Amino acid sequence: MRGPAEVTDGPARTDAPARGRALARSITPVRRRWIAVAVLLAVACSLPFQLVPFRVFQFTMVMVYAVALLGLNLLVGHAGQISLGHGAFFAVGAYAAAIMLDRWDLPYPLTLPIAAAVAFVLGLALGLPAVRLRGLYLALVTLAIAIFLVPLLKRFESVTGGSMGLTLAKPAPPAWTGLAEDQWLYFLTLAVTVLAFLLAHGLLRSRVGRALHAVRDNEAAAEVMGVRLPFYKTLAFAWSAMFAGAAGCVYTWVIGFVSPDSFVVTLSITLLAGIVVGGLGSFSGPLLGGLFVMFVPSISQDINDAAPGVIFGLLIIVVMYVAPTGLAGLAGRVARSTENILRKE
Amino acid sequence: MSTDSFLTISDLSAGYGDARVLHGVNLSVGRGEICAILGPNGAGKTTLLRALSGAVWTRGSVRLDGAGLARRSPDAIARRGVAHVPEGRGTFMPLTVEENLRLGAFTRRGRGEVEADLDRIHGYFPVLKTRLRQVAGSLSGGEQQMLAIGRALMSRPRLLLLDEPSLGLAPLVTRELFRIVRTINEQERTTVVVVEQNAHLALDIAQQAHVLESGRIVLSGSADEIRADEQVAQSYLGYRV
Repeated sequence: MRGPAEVTDGPARTDAPARGRALARSITPVRRRWIAVAVLLAVACSLPFQLVPFRVFQFTMVMVYAVALLGLNLLVGHAGQISLGHGAFFAVGAYAAAIMLDRWDLPYPLTLPIAAAVAFVLGLALGLPAVRLRGLYLALVTLAIAIFLVPLLKRFESVTGGSMGLTLAKPAPPAWTGLAEDQWLYFLTLAVTVLAFLLAHGLLRSRVGRALHAVRDNEAAAEVMGVRLPFYKTLAFAWSAMFAGAAGCVYTWVIGFVSPDSFVVTLSITLLAGIVVGGLGSFSGPLLGGLFVMFVPSISQDINDAAPGVIFGLLIIVVMYVAPTGLAGLAGRVARSTENILRKE
Repeated sequence: MSTDSFLTISDLSAGYGDARVLHGVNLSVGRGEICAILGPNGAGKTTLLRALSGAVWTRGSVRLDGAGLARRSPDAIARRGVAHVPEGRGTFMPLTVEENLRLGAFTRRGRGEVEADLDRIHGYFPVLKTRLRQVAGSLSGGEQQMLAIGRALMSRPRLLLLDEPSLGLAPLVTRELFRIVRTINEQERTTVVVVEQNAHLALDIAQQAHVLESGRIVLSGSADEIRADEQVAQSYLGYRV
């Protein structure tokens, strides 16, 4: 993307535009995506060595949200269903990990697949009734899931720690890494995030991914194509819950504390807002949404201490007005128009 | 009618919710034949095709090569070899042409075969090959109809249901499309049921034809017999014999 600009700054100024154009042509969309991913990964790996621990923690949380949003994107962006209750799956993953660490002293890497599996099964169970519903009705049922979760967590005090929650030791960095705790947690989260993105990417490129897209774009046509609607809708729900559960598990590692009040209904709504603002159905949507969910509330707090919610809400409205396809769509538009300008030179 | 009946519909009623659209339709289509369904708007032509592919409620019996299809779900019927090209084409607009075609082969396993079938479809519709990476929404109406038929062929159907393939297309494009449908029918021995407003074109490629009015078959016969019928000529062909 930025290649041609550097060429024009080079010594061979006379034929620079022609070379710039040739270079721009050689960067196909596929290659551009790989370049972007490589640059992003390089930046992500150097971040924890550049920033103060608090910022490192913030970017860790961006990735945690991104993994949850990845799951929500699968469901909403790719399969065309809606969930106002994804905070519940996030919470289930977080609590599953916390209980495993607290009660059974399991080694923490083990908690990730188990928490993900628990969320998957729960998503499957809740996805089954959801298959018969669509639109507003589905929204209402998933919202109900998010609402009844908090009282439920408070009720089973012996396991969940009730309103007090559970406090846990965070994963300690192994001595050989020489990393501080915040840096270690950051890299753990980065590894999970990369894994989650690879998994989701592979899933969507497969035959199953095509089936989900078909369901989203035209249910009736998908059905006459031989796509079993209930099966794929339930599966989309389960996978989506699995990613949210995995994110919840990493959340527990990073925060070292879970309590019912961390998973109120607002979390579910914020997640949905995050993926819509980030960009539904796009590759970078979950990451941009994660940045939005993490930083915008704290920026809003800086602007006006009294009404962070108001600023947050207003910003969502502004983004949706300026970029109806989300931040990812906006970024794509900006990239394309810059490229066109560079090519014309 | 045909002695070797491939598709047999007996006393078929169908509709939406409380509204019954088809009232006891009987017809049969021979193996490898093209059967045209003619009739005015609202006669139930589209509903008949939907009943065959399981998209509406039905009563009565539908048998394909002896096996019952009635009251099965659309995806189960699709797996039994019925490919429905719906009215309005049912294109997955945001997906690429290639993704649309591959979705057509959804019921089938075996990668090698699917690749071979993609080549086969490109043989019928060369224009699709040049558009593989384009999103389907950017195709012209005629190209989208070709895509819809190509996608249906990807499932290697035993029975192909075409709903108004000429809708919204230029006459030349329509003619080309019907020529290809006939080629497909001849080369692959695919049985075809085509619903069409343009009775001339439909009768040109069909062996059998049925006229549907108010949810009932009012006239059946060979394409030539139907063409020669004075009533049909007046109502659907636009001239007197």
